[in-house]
Amino acid sequence: MKLTLDIWRQKDSASEGHFETYEVDDLDPGMSVLEMFDRLNEHLILEGKEPVTFESDCRESICGCCGVTIDGHPHGPTPHMTTCMQRLRQFTDGQRLRIEPLRAGAYPVVQDLMVDRSGLDRIIAAGGNVDVDAGSAPDAEALPVEHATVEKALDFAVCIGCGACVAACPNGAAMLFTGAKLLHLSLLPMPKIERNRRAERMVAAMEGEFGACSLYGECSAVCPEEIPLTAVAAVQHERLGALLARKL
Amino acid sequence: MSEETAFQAPATCVPGVKLGDILDSKIPDGDPATAWLRRRTGYATVSPANRKKFTVVVIGTGLSGAGAAAALGELGFNVHSFCFQGSARRAHSVAAQGGVNAARARKLDSDSLNRYVIDVVKGGDFRSREAEAYRLGIESVRLIDHMNAIGAPFAREYGGSLATRSFGGVQVSRTYYTRGQTGQQLEISAYQALMRQVQAGTVKLHPHTEMMDLIMEDGACRGVVVRDLFTGKLYAQPAHAVIICTGGYGTIYYLSTYAMGSNASAIWRAHRHGAYFAGPSLIQFHPTCLPVTSPYQSKTILMSESLRNDARVWVPKKKDDPRPPEQIPPEERDYYLETRYPAYGNLVPRDVASRNGKERVDAGYGVGPLKNAVYLDVTDAVKQLGAKVVTERYSNLLQMYRQTIGEEPLEVPMRISPNTHYTMGGLWVDFDLMTNISGLFCGGEANYAYHGANRLGANSLLSTSVDGWFTLPFSIPNFLAPRLSETLPAMNDACVLDAVDRTKARVEALTSIHGTRTSTDFHRRLGDILFEECGLVRSKESLTKGIKAIQELRAEFWDDLKLPGEGEGVNQALEKAGRVADFLELGELMCVDALDREESCGAHYRVEHTEGGESLRDDDHWMFTSAWQTQAPSAFDGNPQMSFTRHMEPLEYKNVHVARRNYK
Amino acid sequence: MAVSVEDKPPIAREPAELPPALTLSPLTSKALPNWALKACMAITGTVGALFLAVHLLGNLKVYLGADAFNKYASGLRSFGEPYLPAESFLWLLRIVLLICLVVHVIAGIMLWERSRVARGKFKAKRTNGLRAWSATIQPISGILIFVFLIFHLADLTWGKVVAAQGFVETTATTSSAYQNLVHDFSRPWSAIIYVIMMILIAAHVGHGVSTVVHDLGSMGWRWRAVFVVIAGALAIVILLGNASIPIAVLAKVVTLS
Repeated sequence: MKLTLDIWRQKDSASEGHFETYEVDDLDPGMSVLEMFDRLNEHLILEGKEPVTFESDCRESICGCCGVTIDGHPHGPTPHMTTCMQRLRQFTDGQRLRIEPLRAGAYPVVQDLMVDRSGLDRIIAAGGNVDVDAGSAPDAEALPVEHATVEKALDFAVCIGCGACVAACPNGAAMLFTGAKLLHLSLLPMPKIERNRRAERMVAAMEGEFGACSLYGECSAVCPEEIPLTAVAAVQHERLGALLARKL
Repeated sequence: MSEETAFQAPATCVPGVKLGDILDSKIPDGDPATAWLRRRTGYATVSPANRKKFTVVVIGTGLSGAGAAAALGELGFNVHSFCFQGSARRAHSVAAQGGVNAARARKLDSDSLNRYVIDVVKGGDFRSREAEAYRLGIESVRLIDHMNAIGAPFAREYGGSLATRSFGGVQVSRTYYTRGQTGQQLEISAYQALMRQVQAGTVKLHPHTEMMDLIMEDGACRGVVVRDLFTGKLYAQPAHAVIICTGGYGTIYYLSTYAMGSNASAIWRAHRHGAYFAGPSLIQFHPTCLPVTSPYQSKTILMSESLRNDARVWVPKKKDDPRPPEQIPPEERDYYLETRYPAYGNLVPRDVASRNGKERVDAGYGVGPLKNAVYLDVTDAVKQLGAKVVTERYSNLLQMYRQTIGEEPLEVPMRISPNTHYTMGGLWVDFDLMTNISGLFCGGEANYAYHGANRLGANSLLSTSVDGWFTLPFSIPNFLAPRLSETLPAMNDACVLDAVDRTKARVEALTSIHGTRTSTDFHRRLGDILFEECGLVRSKESLTKGIKAIQELRAEFWDDLKLPGEGEGVNQALEKAGRVADFLELGELMCVDALDREESCGAHYRVEHTEGGESLRDDDHWMFTSAWQTQAPSAFDGNPQMSFTRHMEPLEYKNVHVARRNYK
Repeated sequence: MAVSVEDKPPIAREPAELPPALTLSPLTSKALPNWALKACMAITGTVGALFLAVHLLGNLKVYLGADAFNKYASGLRSFGEPYLPAESFLWLLRIVLLICLVVHVIAGIMLWERSRVARGKFKAKRTNGLRAWSATIQPISGILIFVFLIFHLADLTWGKVVAAQGFVETTATTSSAYQNLVHDFSRPWSAIIYVIMMILIAAHVGHGVSTVVHDLGSMGWRWRAVFVVIAGALAIVILLGNASIPIAVLAKVVTLS
């Protein structure tokens, strides 16, 4: 199988990037997109050229490392699937693909297809956590939680932090990411205690780097974990709730 | 103690291997059941006002690394946390599926701390420490409480209490879980706790940095040298204590269920500075991995073995049968697990299932385009139970198979093959998780603790979490307490500059070879050698062959490696080459360890040491942990001529009755 | 080719450096944070949508004939009399609507600009069908609606510049709203502008109203589903109801007689 790739090449965040065209012809339809890059890079190294930089780690759709934009689709044309799981059999032999990094103002390109997504970490650091020191937690059985509540919390806790939602958003917003975390923690009894403070801090951190929501719905449409737009509403819910909860 | 004087070290059959010392695990004498409680109570402490004067470096942000860094930060120590990923959340703990054991024993199924310890020690085939298993069991109770409080949404019964399931062949229900992504939820919770300390300023997080070397002074570890993977620049971080939590090294087999970046470099650098490496050849293989379908496949994906509850494993009775599987009639199928192990059938333990699968493939009955797999067939279950029931039970697994392989598993039998899944081996640590180098600690899968020769299912998340959250935060202050007057090395001290120079020289050595082959090429070859010669089944012949092949490959590597660039800026090929260079040394030690240990135990299966086709332990001679030391003329030569010394830690079992496994 | 440390000449030894660490968010909120602007847009937009619904009901009186329509127009001015001064209700309405308009437009511009910066220079592909399409045209339709609003006021309230010949100003007691409307829509270009604008307003209202629940933080799927239905229904009613009038005038269904 053969594919023609227009790949974004950029030396560092200060440089201007451009597309370069490569042909890879020893491909197998069962390979993933990242394995295609592996092949390409081996060829490039042997030809004495600079290999294409891209991020990947677990390659089983859970770590959130990988992510490129293929023909304008963050992660790739098959929806709800990380780049590492996108297989070549969805393309036709000889097809031409346009490969770019995940694009957003808050994602400066480090090199080629690798971007810096540390903005998402800053949101979590700001408040996406629980103020309980190790050893001081009460017995987990002491606070019963409804079966359905835990399952619902898990629906949002499954976020892998790949940041494709931001890249898909025409506003560069991180509402789905932030809202999923707010909702995950607000549903559970212990983490729920500090929900107002958390919402204030996480939303402040989020708005420091990311855009606002216009409800395009692109985030949810690309999310590998299919997190629903409820998460977007959760940001407003938790933040307005924090405003109304101010007492004294 | 009489035990140690009675210990007779068996001779070695490996040429050049020297016998070393008897090691002291620092486990308090007396009943192992209370050893941890007594040890913990006796630990020295650091006053809260003094804690910020101590700098602790933690390498890795998986469950043990993030846990240790967060907990030490909460206590008020000055912590520096390093990870090679762009975010601390991406460590490979995130990929664990099944669950986390805890000896909470809340149900009436007669579970207890003792029963848990028996399961762990038996599971490890009597090659692990009894007292450590007790620690796991004791600390597991509050680990669940802690993870629950900081955000892990553990599955609950309809009544609101925590749900448990039975896992890994044990007869009690003690595995806590969050659907099929327990590792993810624990890792994310630990990462969040870590980020909370980053925001509080107690932890400085350094993402996309890789540990390159240790700063060593008078035989003690005094910090680390790291490389910024974005800029290629080298930095030094002096510290009073260094904790390595970099996980397992299963990627040495090239294809594994590990992450692409998983590596042995941090522990191997430590090993080359003198830290002993225990049980390097003890590797767990998982029988139900997705098969390799293309020659350029980069890894394999695990499917939960729960599938074996309803699926039947078989190969065609005829070699190279060209027919598609659904057209092969039942009488021409070889359901080899069912015929060989009538009692357990398709549910034999992982190592037995893996080994038998490999045996069939090697005998020429493999299936699939590369003839390297066996069938895992749910079509019979579909006929009996209906497609709906089967889909309900295994929907995510079936979906993963469809996505990856592109076939419909409800109609066409799935193909599976065994692959590397967990490394029991790692840096030898004492009861406080400190290596034999003063100031160098090791936690999680990177160390050799708890699991012995084989790990019990759902024990990996537990051991790595307990190391990080409830062991190191006690033992590190104990180590630091008497060192209040010690100052950190200055940035222009010789020990710091030496470490930086060693790293520079190593990077330069790699980039100046200018050969013709990529590091991936060498890695793939190394994986083939190890899988064949030091994989599921080992023999004296194969291991001897393996050692020679790896030595040759390493020589080729240092003669013919091709790398782009000079080590500046992002250079992923250089990162990979450094890791492969370390694997090429570790691979040899793995074969030496496997060749040296003349018995079969747990995951280590030597064809010479079997009885009726099943592994045969030799408790009279080999009931000890091998902790290896590697000597080489210069610690950082390109291709070292290595020689090895086997140190030994005898094992004794006071509460668990020593017995043999049997599944027939 | 192995290179060992011993073989190499001594390297210039500068003091090593400490590694850089992850920076943190300053956690300083903007004076007008996005979440508050979104909530403001939702509230002011809802007021606007309600106004449009009422306005539509009034407009439809055109089918009841000149008297009914003119009486309704006059009634707006005398509403509340004799308890309130003349036109006070109308002015109250105008002030509220004006404030809502100003807040809505300013918040919209600020959010648009912030999002443009947050997106960076590479635009995102729209893949999410109607929802993405309607969100995309929202700022454009917003600007056009704003321009149209001025046109509409000049055309039918103030009777300036773009108004049809024969425009008769409303007095305290009489209204010629019906005649003005028929004169106006008898000009085909004007009728076409109104019809096109009704499509844009319908799209704007449709997306806007379905967004309101999100922006006010409703997480229940029922409320959000209900609002999608309300938004769609309102959009269709506004479009069909309002656009029918210029068409009816052109088709001579609504005439001066």
